[in-house]
Amino acid sequence: MDNKFTKSELKKLEKKSKSKKEMFFDLLISFLPLLSYAISILEYLFIKDKYENDYKYRYVIFLTVIIVLYLFFLIKNLYIYLTCGDDEKYIKTKNKSLWLFVIFLFLTLFDYLTLKTGILMYPFIPWVNDIINISIEDYKNLTISTLYSLRLLLIGYIVGVVTGLVTGVLCGYSKRVRYWINPILKVLGPIPTATWIPLIMIISSSLFLGAVFIISLGVWFSVSVATMIGIMNVDKSYYDVAKTLGANDKDLIFKVAIHSAMPNILQGMTQGMSSACISLMVAEMLGVKAGLGWYITWSQSWASYNKMFAAIIIICLVFNVVSKILDSIKKYLLRWQNSGGDIE
Amino acid sequence: MNSSILSIKNISKSFAKIDEDSITHAISNINIDLKENEFVSIVGPSGCGKSTILRLIAGLIFPTMGEIFFENKKIQGPNRDIGMVFQKPTLFPWLTVKKNISFGLDINNEYEENKINEMIKMIGLNDFANDYPGQLSGGMAQRVAIARAIINNPKVLLLDEPLGALDYFTRMNMQDEILEIWKEKKQLIIMVTHDIEEAIYMSTKVYVMEKNPGRIKEEVKIDLPYDRDRTSLEFVEYKNRILNLVKF
Repeated sequence: MDNKFTKSELKKLEKKSKSKKEMFFDLLISFLPLLSYAISILEYLFIKDKYENDYKYRYVIFLTVIIVLYLFFLIKNLYIYLTCGDDEKYIKTKNKSLWLFVIFLFLTLFDYLTLKTGILMYPFIPWVNDIINISIEDYKNLTISTLYSLRLLLIGYIVGVVTGLVTGVLCGYSKRVRYWINPILKVLGPIPTATWIPLIMIISSSLFLGAVFIISLGVWFSVSVATMIGIMNVDKSYYDVAKTLGANDKDLIFKVAIHSAMPNILQGMTQGMSSACISLMVAEMLGVKAGLGWYITWSQSWASYNKMFAAIIIICLVFNVVSKILDSIKKYLLRWQNSGGDIE
Repeated sequence: MNSSILSIKNISKSFAKIDEDSITHAISNINIDLKENEFVSIVGPSGCGKSTILRLIAGLIFPTMGEIFFENKKIQGPNRDIGMVFQKPTLFPWLTVKKNISFGLDINNEYEENKINEMIKMIGLNDFANDYPGQLSGGMAQRVAIARAIINNPKVLLLDEPLGALDYFTRMNMQDEILEIWKEKKQLIIMVTHDIEEAIYMSTKVYVMEKNPGRIKEEVKIDLPYDRDRTSLEFVEYKNRILNLVKF
């Protein structure tokens, strides 16, 4: 074809045009969160509190920041849609609206059950503003704990991935290595790594190194097994082709086998990450005297349940960010897999 | 004393069957002597060991009995001077078209941008150089596979039904393209095919095989000038002769 056009123009050409009614309905849905936001604020400000509530307006600011961020992106992408006709981003933002709508309603309900009526008992279950307050008050400890956890997680994970790759590749490629390593993997593999923690805490000279060992053990296991299976299942015709092109054993491993096994390897890495997160928490709760896991048990022993909640929320955020990063690495490395264009 | 580049001496190859305690004799007692600049086709019923011969020459498997000599040296394993194109393109899906073609150069540290671009131009895939193989049609993929093999400048090029999976028109085009390459590089080409017309159209010599065990029934020299006319009387006569040989 002679006339070239961009990807977004192509999509626009191929798309069914929406009727006015549908477009109005979409618009209505995308502004729905505003409604539940208003309900939240009204509920929070006009129903009488049961408990004393310091810095009352922090929660209002929190909710407002969320809705403002949402509206900012919505209006920006809506503008793009109306001017350029590319609705990809608008639809992405719009698809979040129903969830946001429900989240505001949930927060309203939660606030009513805690701060307003005490049906969910304080101090075991704190209201959101209380969690915000304690996070701001104790931000130093929380930041340090987060950094400690991240350091332990990353070191353990990287050690596990590197050793796992080495064993996995050797096992997959060489029968002799597999003879010795495979039974070990089979016997030790099913044991949850957390089981080792009490033992390691006694044996190892440093708690930190012990924890690194525990975390990397789980990662090592998943990465080794996945890599081994990936390498064993490499299509033999790839080897034939590479050999006729002059490849030696080293090329067969590094230029063919590892690439071909990459989907398996990355799956093992994802699995390893979730096992690493579990081991991290258990290790910190049982022995290591730092990190978010430690922070949780520590605040529990002081009956500061609001701190516990703050730490749990941070853990949730951190782990989500970590797996998002892993996901985008995966997408980048496997970009050759969905090369048939966008199939929807 | 021996001017041939490739000589196959008395080779037989048997395979052990996987599930029962018996043996398949794939080929037996094959003797072939080939010179540079020949284009040889091997035709015959399926299961007569055509592909086995190519894999033996490529050094991917070893003969049960007999020896194969390449430039008077016994073949001990795969060799860059003997290139092979397989029935399926078998492109590396994780590499772009360009990287697939340059694979042989890359692993031998002979990367040459000009050479690669020339090759891509020759197979007419400029617009697809940076795409991944998943986006190519069957004909395009096989062209890339051929380019990947010939960029190494092999002295012997083995083609294992390279056009078998393509439609009729693409196949005729590709036949001419392969002939162009052969005329330019003058290497020895050995092609396995099930298409007798293709064999006559392209080769200087056709080996007709029969099976159980696989052996060469007859060698037919094709004395026709290129470019050959598929409808000419001589061409049809060759076709009839080989068809009669294949019938058994």
